[in-house]
Amino acid sequence: MKVKEIMTKDVKSLSGEETVKDALDIISRLEISGLPVIDKDRNLLGMFTEKDILRIILPGYLTQVGAFVYGDDPKNIKNKFLNLHNLKVAEVMNKAVETVKEDTSLSEAARLMLTKNVRRMPVLDADKKVTGIISRYDVLAALRRIAEV
Amino acid sequence: MIKKFFLLIGISVCAGFLSKAGGFNSHQALAISIFLVSVLGTLLFWEFRLSFVFLGSSALLLTNTINLESLIKFASLDVILFLVGMMVLIGLLKESGFFAWLVSLILRIRNLTATKFLVSVSLISALLACAVDEVTSIIFIVAAVFEICDYFEVEPTPFLIVSVLATNIGSSGTVLGNPIGILIAAKSGLTFEDFIFKAFPVMLVCLAALIFIVRIWYRKPLKELDQKIKALGANEMLIKLISVPPERELKVSLLIFGVTLFCISLHHRLELLWHLEPNTVLLTIPLISAGCVMIWKWQRARKFIEKDVEWWTLLFFMLLFAQAGALHYTGATDTAAGYLAKVSGNNPLNLLVLIISVSAIGSSILDNVVLVTAFIPVIQSFKNIGFNLQPLWWALLFGGCLGGNITLVGSTANIVALGILEKERNIKLTFFRWFWVGLAVGIVTTVIAALMLIILPIYHA
Repeated sequence: MKVKEIMTKDVKSLSGEETVKDALDIISRLEISGLPVIDKDRNLLGMFTEKDILRIILPGYLTQVGAFVYGDDPKNIKNKFLNLHNLKVAEVMNKAVETVKEDTSLSEAARLMLTKNVRRMPVLDADKKVTGIISRYDVLAALRRIAEV
Repeated sequence: MIKKFFLLIGISVCAGFLSKAGGFNSHQALAISIFLVSVLGTLLFWEFRLSFVFLGSSALLLTNTINLESLIKFASLDVILFLVGMMVLIGLLKESGFFAWLVSLILRIRNLTATKFLVSVSLISALLACAVDEVTSIIFIVAAVFEICDYFEVEPTPFLIVSVLATNIGSSGTVLGNPIGILIAAKSGLTFEDFIFKAFPVMLVCLAALIFIVRIWYRKPLKELDQKIKALGANEMLIKLISVPPERELKVSLLIFGVTLFCISLHHRLELLWHLEPNTVLLTIPLISAGCVMIWKWQRARKFIEKDVEWWTLLFFMLLFAQAGALHYTGATDTAAGYLAKVSGNNPLNLLVLIISVSAIGSSILDNVVLVTAFIPVIQSFKNIGFNLQPLWWALLFGGCLGGNITLVGSTANIVALGILEKERNIKLTFFRWFWVGLAVGIVTTVIAALMLIILPIYHA
């Protein structure tokens, strides 16, 4: 089975011009953890996820400080949250996005999701335009269907 | 990019021809040219520095400028293994929460005042840099400075600059503070005790001078912090902001690190007791500790070696040391030493001042490891001319560490701290905002170190 057979074709996306605060509202409303960022010609610009927001509001040196426990919330988190409306999605999105082609096999998509540690991947056609998106759930559900046939 | 590349090649080739015209033989001129490519490569193409030393070292071998056996000998595997062992230990300390615990200690300072904060940050920065390396140290100090400045709503930049300046000064206090410390110890035969009795006091005097200077330089930010402390009250929230559970792991990690430091401090006596070659114990203690860590944490052993050891940097060091060795092997450094001795009028004190000045100015632009690596074979060559090397080694150490304070690219600690400042607070420091205070501190501390080296007889023993 190929990716194009199971992908979601109605891709919800961001343009990159939204503020991070607005983008957060959108992903909260859609109850998803991230969205692709696509221009008006359907070219993929990047991927914006909840993780990007956490990366903005928490200190970047957290991963280097080693083991500790936050007993309270740092004062700066509040300030950084308030500043989200000053940042545009294009400034914080992840630009190195893993993608798949329409004719990529399901197992290959699953392999990429596992080895590259991604939850969802935009699907591109031969002209590198976004035509859909697949999630881990889509791949697992399709693989399950195949196994149960 | 292409312009810079041709500039690098042009300067290196010109230096080679000039060296040849100035009396160096062909192999010496080639060794100088290739070493210059590596030096300029670190300055102009930081991301490509490893490629430059790989290619340069291969060229040295293929042109028979140095043979394989000597290249391997000069690569200083002893220093590299010492650094590997220490990096594994630092990885363990990080994982067990030691550094976060130190940050929490800074946040818990009682009855905080601006001056108390300034002195504490300076002292802890310097002492932590003495015990671990300067780059590891600065990350945790910056974390503490940011949390305190955020809490009291003051700009962190002045305090961050102070902590970096103190870190660079502190890194000269022991063998462990800076890669150039262990490099000089390994090449000079100076012991950990020598560093404690001779380098550490100079470091403390320089640190006192730093605190004096920045207390005046940053009087306005300090006044502002005092006002904010009065307005916002005690740092109650900061006290409970970060905690590190005193788990067994942290205690055992501290014990291993403490025993390692203790054994390193006694290395010279143990070597005498067991009739071992100088520095055998110094260089093997971190390996023994790292070996124990990897038995204790056997499931994470691969992570300690693969993630916590900076192989990129260590490979660069190895081949850079080998290239500097080629300068010695071809006799280029003997010629350079003769020239420097002539410039200084064959006067040991003039030579000391020359070395500390050149190394301070040089390390304000270049990575101090690159600079010290180039200087080491030159200093070794002064022995043949009849100079007492000990004061020259100290001059090289202090010049290399203190000069790093002069510009914002003068040391890796500066670059790391300013990178965090830009990323976290979107503050991009201008060259001159750093330069004036860095220059003042750099000049004063270098002069203090030079005077102590000249006046006090212990440095001439």
